[in-house]
Amino acid sequence: MTTHSDAQPNPVAALPAVQRVSAVLWPSFLFAGAATAVFFALIDPLVLLDCQGAPPLTRTGAYSLGFFLFWLLTAGASSVTLYFLSTRVPPSKRDDGAPVAR
Amino acid sequence: MGTVSNLKDRASRKDIPVRFADDTERELYAKREKVYPREVDGRFARLRAIAVWVLLGIFYLVPWLRWDDRQAVLFDLPARKFYILWFSFFPQDFLYLAFFLIICALSLFFFTALAGRVWCGYACPQTVWTEVFMWIERHIEGDRAKRQKLDRAPLDGRKIGLKAAKHAVWVVFALWTGFTFVGFFTPIHDLGARLAALSLGPWETFWILFYAFATYGNAGWMREQVCIYMCPYARFQSAMFDRNTLIVAYDGGRGEPRGSRKRSVDHRAQGLGDCIDCTMCVQVCPTGIDIRDGLQYQCIGCALCVDACDGVMDRMGYPRGLIRYTTENAVEGRPTRVLRPRTVVYASLLALLSAGVMTSVLMRTPLALDVLRDRNALYRETPEGYVENVYTLKLINMDGREHAYRLDIAGLPGAALVLGRDDIRVPAGEVLSLPARVRIDPYDLQGASSSVTFVLKAEDDPDLVVHEEARFIGPAPAR
Repeated sequence: MTTHSDAQPNPVAALPAVQRVSAVLWPSFLFAGAATAVFFALIDPLVLLDCQGAPPLTRTGAYSLGFFLFWLLTAGASSVTLYFLSTRVPPSKRDDGAPVAR
Repeated sequence: MGTVSNLKDRASRKDIPVRFADDTERELYAKREKVYPREVDGRFARLRAIAVWVLLGIFYLVPWLRWDDRQAVLFDLPARKFYILWFSFFPQDFLYLAFFLIICALSLFFFTALAGRVWCGYACPQTVWTEVFMWIERHIEGDRAKRQKLDRAPLDGRKIGLKAAKHAVWVVFALWTGFTFVGFFTPIHDLGARLAALSLGPWETFWILFYAFATYGNAGWMREQVCIYMCPYARFQSAMFDRNTLIVAYDGGRGEPRGSRKRSVDHRAQGLGDCIDCTMCVQVCPTGIDIRDGLQYQCIGCALCVDACDGVMDRMGYPRGLIRYTTENAVEGRPTRVLRPRTVVYASLLALLSAGVMTSVLMRTPLALDVLRDRNALYRETPEGYVENVYTLKLINMDGREHAYRLDIAGLPGAALVLGRDDIRVPAGEVLSLPARVRIDPYDLQGASSSVTFVLKAEDDPDLVVHEEARFIGPAPAR
């Protein structure tokens, strides 16, 4: 594996921590909200909670738990994306901007 | 920025200079410098204040409005019912929500193409709540200069007092916001009563605190950073811009070369433009940019710099509009076209979709029937030799009043419907769960699986009728 050259630091890795955290948590929050809405519009949590071994929850509790599970999933996907971007080797460029073959 | 890249080569002084991707990236990695927006009065500042009052008024008052015997607007998640004035919506109506969101997105595209970032400047919750939080800050810590001085000052009793007071007011306002927010999703009168009795449920408490924290954090601390780093719309809005889109722009041709001067002198004779370089436009900017550098993605189009500059121009005796709402075409002396393919397409799509959804909501049959076959048994045989299937019916009355209904079956000759009761009544906006059996002589069955249609009809309105098909399972025919 090639490492970054000093001349071209990886821009994602250079982001302040706050921005990297919000780049993961914020989009995943939005999409977890959408996923929760679609999922619970189709499925009444009470039906799921009828199952054996389901936690004793109200509908509101089930929505909330469902939302956080979705958030966990989407945040997982976002953080893997961020990880790939921050470990990506940026292509070197010549002065005129054309890529150089390695 | 798509639409601006083609401007790159133009060199006339009337250009709107733009920042390009490289600059943007550098911005993104720069450490944030705290922005201390100066208060400004003027046409657009007043318009913004009106927008804040109207929008927040709607937000804080609407949950308290009553309609008949219920909350007028309530997205009752615990009961899985949405009420908007005289309409009730059920999970079955999810498609309407999807279409509503598409309409919202299209409206955003349309208004962006037409008038630029009016959403950002006047209507976005981030803008509106930030405005209120800054207003609180200004009343406690003082104006821009005082706030800057206070932040530079060493920590003493006065500073702690002012900061504590500001955060206390912020927290109370944020908690009230969180309470109101949850009040859209669970009946707010009950919620208020339970809050007063300190007997809120754990999840209600959690979501009130969560939303309050989000408000406090975003409007108190994050502010313009939300727009710059977190808002996807801010990143892609330029794709909807064209040369006829309304933007806030500095007229470099008139303003440059900038420089300070005495009011009495003829600045033209000294070779100066109209910009006196007072930096008022920078000081009032809530995102802390210099509009004279050209169109930037951080600009939320609030036009406070227009107000600030107009005030300065008035005092100097120069004509207003050195910074103004304008279009790229207008700045270049070309006519601005409001009607153009982009706006026409957006507008027609918007009109078609809205009309379609409205018609569909108004014309929909306010009655739904869900049929669930009992999955535990395929069928059962009665002592009399009949074959029975058991169903659970869900009758959903989406109408604004109670109805009595009659239930029949069709499509399965020889079959009879057995209900536990004769009188089927469903109050307005309620769901009735009704067990039902369909009984048939096995000799009348054509095969192991047949279809049967449940017909639900309102007694008082022959137009109010729904059909729902279900499977009927019997023994395999003996051959």
